[in-house]
Amino acid sequence: MTGMGTTGVLEVTNLSTQIRLSRSVVEAVGNVDFAIGAGETLGLVGESGCGKSMTGLSLIRLLPNGGHIVGGSIKLRGLELVDLAEDDLRAVRGNEIAIIFQDSQSSLNPTMPIGRQVAEPVRLHRGVSKSEARERALEVLELVGLPHPRERLDDFPHQLSGGLRQRVMIAIALACEPKVLVADEPTTALDVTIQAQILALLDDLEERLGMATLLITHDMGVVAGRTDRINVMYAGRIVETAKTERIFAGMRHPYTQALLGSIPSLDQDRSKALYTIPGLPPDLAPPPPGCRFAARCPRATEQCQVEEPPLTGEDADHLFACWHPVDGPVERSVTIPHATATNGRAEGDRLLQVNGAVREFPVTAGVILRRQVDSVKAVSGISVEVGSGETLGLVGESGCGKTTLGKLVVGAEKPDAGTVELAGKRVFDLRRGALRRARRDLQMMFQDPYSSLDPRMRVHAILREPLQIQRVGTRREQDEKITNVMREVGLPLTALERYPHEFSGGQRQRIGLARALMLDPQVIVADEPVSALDVSIRSQILNLMRRLQVERGTASIVISHDLAVVRYLSDRIGVMYLGKLVELGSSDDVYHHPAHPYTEALIAAIPVPDPTVEKHKGAVAIRGDLPSPRNPPSGCRFRTRCPRAQELCAQVEPLLRPFGPGHVAACHFPLQEPVGTAEPEAAHGSAG
Amino acid sequence: MTGYIVRRCIAAVIIALGVAAVVYLLLNFTGGSPAAAALGNHYNKITAALWNKQHGYDKPLVVQIVDYVWNAIHLNFGYSYKQGQSVAALLNEDAGRTAYLSGAALVLALLIAMPLGIAQAVKRNSIGDYVATGVAFTLYSMPAFFLGLILIQFLALDLHVFPAFVGDNVTTTWQAVTHPLEMALPIVTLAALTVASFSRYMRSSALDALAQDYIRLARAKGLRERAVLTRHLLRNASLPMITLVGLSIPGLLAGNIITESLFNYPGLGLLFYDALQNLDYPILLAYTLIGGILTVTGNLIADIAVAVADPRIRLD
Repeated sequence: MTGMGTTGVLEVTNLSTQIRLSRSVVEAVGNVDFAIGAGETLGLVGESGCGKSMTGLSLIRLLPNGGHIVGGSIKLRGLELVDLAEDDLRAVRGNEIAIIFQDSQSSLNPTMPIGRQVAEPVRLHRGVSKSEARERALEVLELVGLPHPRERLDDFPHQLSGGLRQRVMIAIALACEPKVLVADEPTTALDVTIQAQILALLDDLEERLGMATLLITHDMGVVAGRTDRINVMYAGRIVETAKTERIFAGMRHPYTQALLGSIPSLDQDRSKALYTIPGLPPDLAPPPPGCRFAARCPRATEQCQVEEPPLTGEDADHLFACWHPVDGPVERSVTIPHATATNGRAEGDRLLQVNGAVREFPVTAGVILRRQVDSVKAVSGISVEVGSGETLGLVGESGCGKTTLGKLVVGAEKPDAGTVELAGKRVFDLRRGALRRARRDLQMMFQDPYSSLDPRMRVHAILREPLQIQRVGTRREQDEKITNVMREVGLPLTALERYPHEFSGGQRQRIGLARALMLDPQVIVADEPVSALDVSIRSQILNLMRRLQVERGTASIVISHDLAVVRYLSDRIGVMYLGKLVELGSSDDVYHHPAHPYTEALIAAIPVPDPTVEKHKGAVAIRGDLPSPRNPPSGCRFRTRCPRAQELCAQVEPLLRPFGPGHVAACHFPLQEPVGTAEPEAAHGSAG
Repeated sequence: MTGYIVRRCIAAVIIALGVAAVVYLLLNFTGGSPAAAALGNHYNKITAALWNKQHGYDKPLVVQIVDYVWNAIHLNFGYSYKQGQSVAALLNEDAGRTAYLSGAALVLALLIAMPLGIAQAVKRNSIGDYVATGVAFTLYSMPAFFLGLILIQFLALDLHVFPAFVGDNVTTTWQAVTHPLEMALPIVTLAALTVASFSRYMRSSALDALAQDYIRLARAKGLRERAVLTRHLLRNASLPMITLVGLSIPGLLAGNIITESLFNYPGLGLLFYDALQNLDYPILLAYTLIGGILTVTGNLIADIAVAVADPRIRLD
């Protein structure tokens, strides 16, 4: 591995990129320097809008409309790319420098077979025949680990899972054996288990092919184990750069510190608030004077407001741009504590009870008469309970049925079998009026803050609507309630007269939470409440949710694929796999003493923002994709991906067995010895 | 897919029969009796009653409808007393010419609108885009007869490039095909009206497609802009057009009425136009029925074509 000192394959000096809009000019990238050697990986980290993607796109001059490079140099093995003629640059794109985008769903042409999409750059740059290009496509698809590539060449992208599509995109990038690979958030859209597989694949390929890689991500955990060096970007500038181990151990810029500090870790103390960065990144049209981070920086002084700090350091190997540098990572526990939370559930407290819930979506076929031939088994007999004031977390890969279960709880879906009981009353047995009354107590907070708020309603109307539907209070009482809730979620009253599009994602999520709180529900279901938000905003919302949990004592169910988020918010955690609950227990039990191999694998797949931990992680814990929920495997549904699976697992479905107080798991060969004997009763969730 | 097509075809037939029944019913309500139209000066109570008895118009309405639908299935659309010919024979004569005029206009409109829409999307907000948008809106808001008259004035009367009317030498479909000069103005008039809406539609669907990441990835592969557009953009951006074209087929028939009568082109439109003035009920009924059937089949063909062109859509 080559260091910074030796000549890199790619050398970028003083690169500046602007985007001309109709009325202003955005300085997206300003004076950026970096070099990457063969086989080396450089991480580019920062929040969205910090210029990291623009830096990546600048390398092959594929900027959006109005974007262009205004200064600096990009040298690919000595060849200057900034002023290279368009025709010559096309010979570089896809050939010498290849790029992987985040969203494989929209990045692959939906109407072209994947084989042709992979073969396309080969034909273009290698000038080979159609069949030779097809052979090469086959070779690369094999290389990136697409199972049975020959049978899949003529498949269309929608026939593949997200993880496989991402492999196809990597195959397109590698088809011409590029010298430089730009991976722009290559795993952000994927599940942790698939993310771990893709990252391991990229790692392996870099080494085997000796590529220089630019890994662009917002996730400090992803860069920790996969990069040699890290550039932290903020508002178009590199604010800190050093070798990966060095930056994690001795970061000097307050932004780097904040970026790392605001992610909840798996051993996060739940009684403490998360570190947050106040405010939002600055508008870069034009950028503010002085240090661009000054407005959000706790250490900012007058000097920071007026004078921009240069990128310097004690030695050339660790540079940072700050007048008042910090020393090392933030001590996580120094933060302001929440009020002491004791959300323990009293014995026999069953506010919400889900008993053997089943939900299947029919798949039909037939020429004239439609008959049901199959069904998607979204939820297959799940029993859980939530006590008053308790928070239950639900985790699992996408497609495991966690969202459907959430919908069953709030009454947005009807179970095909089983019951949902709220305070002892079966929700679906209620008559119309009583059902509407019951909905008051069951509210939902959605994932996408953009599509879940009516764009043509003012915030005031959005918040009043639930009260009107439920005919709660007089107009004056309603207004009072709105004012109180706005205060609770930390929004100014001036926001009431504005429309949703006038707010940032984080503020919209606050509005969504406020709407859920309007009726003082007994249970709130939060479905991926922070996954659409940027890291720094995410911690603000998590703190808010945590504070409200403690203050209001509302019971909630938090659904997320992000195990750290779930752990931070939840008292107990349920792990779901293909419509089944495979493990349920307290946060500590599940994270520190998991009994189910799937739970262990899920936890192992989370990238930890610590290079020493990440680099010593073993092989990928879980392989392959989630099987189809139309035809779940017999016996234990996890057996096809389980390292411990045996004959028995295919024949007999394991029941939930106790592993300690309130800790159950369904596995024939668990990671620890069960306590007591297996009772069929345990399957019905007498955990508590 | 086969199952889907079979199901849809059955549904289409049922809908078409329903359309026939409704059309017959509607015309029955609009007043003016077929007897009055057929008898003309000889119309009085007695002759009318006699005529009605002879032609089955004295039967209960339901029976009349069933009779009409039953005959329509056997391609018997009644008899035009005004023209002294069976409606089926009249339709048979004119259908080919109208199909040629409509088809040629549709193809011409697509050949212009699709590249134009893509070009406008690629060069969006340029002067060319604005000019094309302006022209499209002008054409869109222009009545067919007005556009036709302008074309006749400039290209026929002033410049003598094309003949102003379709002459008597064009009577069969084959003659229409072999006389491109005579047919130019009607085809262009009919096409111009559809180009306007098609190109607007194509522009917006191309804009949507251009914003997709697969276009960015195609460029990142090193493809020329031309190849990006033809290989990756064209097919994806055309998908929404298929539905639009399917829906516009019956609309072309309506546009034909004006265009055909303006250029004196002997097609279904002209037949209908004359029938309208003469209150020739059997022809009016048949023409409306054809419109209904075209709507149903246009939709069906569009749905199947979309499924063929877009691998993501599975019909089952």
